[in-house]
Amino acid sequence: MAKDVMTTETYINHHLTNLTCGKVGVNEDAGIYNSFWTCDPYMVDKMGFWAFHVDSLFWSILLGAFFIGVFKMAMPKDMNSNSAPSGAQNFVEMCIEFVEDNVQSLFGSVKNTLIAPLALTVFVWILLMNLMDLVPVDFLPVLAGHIAYAVAGSGGADGGGVEWITSPESFYFKVVPTTDPNITLGMAFAVFILTIYYSITVKGFKNFIAELTLHPFGKWLIPVNFVLEMVNFIAKPISLGLRLFGNLYAGEMIFILIALMLFFSSIPIGMLGFGLHLVWALFHILIVALQAFIFMALTIAYLAMAHETEEH
Amino acid sequence: MNINATLLAQAVVMIVFVAICWRYIYPPILAVMQEREKKIADGLEAAKKADDSLEEAKLAFDKELNQAKSEAAEILEKANNRASQIVNDASSKAEVEAEKIMSSASTAIENETNKAKEELRQQMSDIIIDTTQKILGDEISKEKHEDILKKAAEEL
Repeated sequence: MAKDVMTTETYINHHLTNLTCGKVGVNEDAGIYNSFWTCDPYMVDKMGFWAFHVDSLFWSILLGAFFIGVFKMAMPKDMNSNSAPSGAQNFVEMCIEFVEDNVQSLFGSVKNTLIAPLALTVFVWILLMNLMDLVPVDFLPVLAGHIAYAVAGSGGADGGGVEWITSPESFYFKVVPTTDPNITLGMAFAVFILTIYYSITVKGFKNFIAELTLHPFGKWLIPVNFVLEMVNFIAKPISLGLRLFGNLYAGEMIFILIALMLFFSSIPIGMLGFGLHLVWALFHILIVALQAFIFMALTIAYLAMAHETEEH
Repeated sequence: MNINATLLAQAVVMIVFVAICWRYIYPPILAVMQEREKKIADGLEAAKKADDSLEEAKLAFDKELNQAKSEAAEILEKANNRASQIVNDASSKAEVEAEKIMSSASTAIENETNKAKEELRQQMSDIIIDTTQKILGDEISKEKHEDILKKAAEEL
């Protein structure tokens, strides 16, 4: 791929490709006789479903841990102290108050202690992941590529190190987890599982099935009802995940294209790109916060729906 | 951009983080916030109560003060009245006394004057008779000229 000269196409591709690790199965047609684990970008096609986007997961877990860490640190050491909150504690309490307000308005009187922590986690975590979009597009991938090449590159004539890291550019490293549909759909999937769990435990299995089959046409058209309700049911998590992915992916794409103006064109256009980058970054702050908020609000709304027993 | 096991891994990671937040992060912070909220509400209520009682105390204080003031004014007025009465009494008494003294004194003076006049008249008539006897000898006697003498004494 990017072994020789970097072109516009390879640049964009490089930014849109995840560092993927997976198990390559035995495939005698392709000349593979032993299964093995690898992160070689050329082997991605042969990994099948059981592959992991290590970069996405790395940033996702790092930022999740950062969230937990900050909120843990911000807690007052002595829970019974009368001292006024200060610094980070104010920020943390502001976040919690914001989430509490939203849960209150969407969830009303239903008592469920999981919803607010879930909403808080989703909001802060997605906000942090989205914010990675504001780090200059090349900064972390290039840094990671050089570090990987320096640590484990196979550049030398002796062929040491990891075979497939032939240059800093051959190491893919995508920074914004929410531009990876696996991440957003994964979170939507977790919300979906919770929705099903609460639908069954709160309404009862019978009511849950009844809701899926006896609506909207009554008991004589159960198959039609089921198909309609199933589409409705499945569409929720998919739209939830894809909305976040689409917004952030588009934002990232525009950052990449603006960055291209700087590298592959004349100086005036490069200057224009510089200005555009600033404008888009400012605008993107809005998208970053808004999408995190929307994901949180919809998560709360879907779980609230799971708690409501509809009257038929 | 394939859909692969990353999705499942992310779902698991999310559930883990949510569980940590649910178990260890959210409840203690919320508890602290709620406790503080309660404390502030209590404090405000206590402050309001204190304000109310202060107001009450002020009112009571004002009332007492006004009462004391009016009482003092009353007492003062009474004392003033009494004092002026005493003064008036004393002065009228003194006037009466003075008048009495004056009248008795003038009576005494009059008596003395009359007495002195009488004496003086007596002596005068004696002297005149003596002198007249000496001049006229026996031609004149007291007895003979009693009328004249009496007249003269009256004229004096």
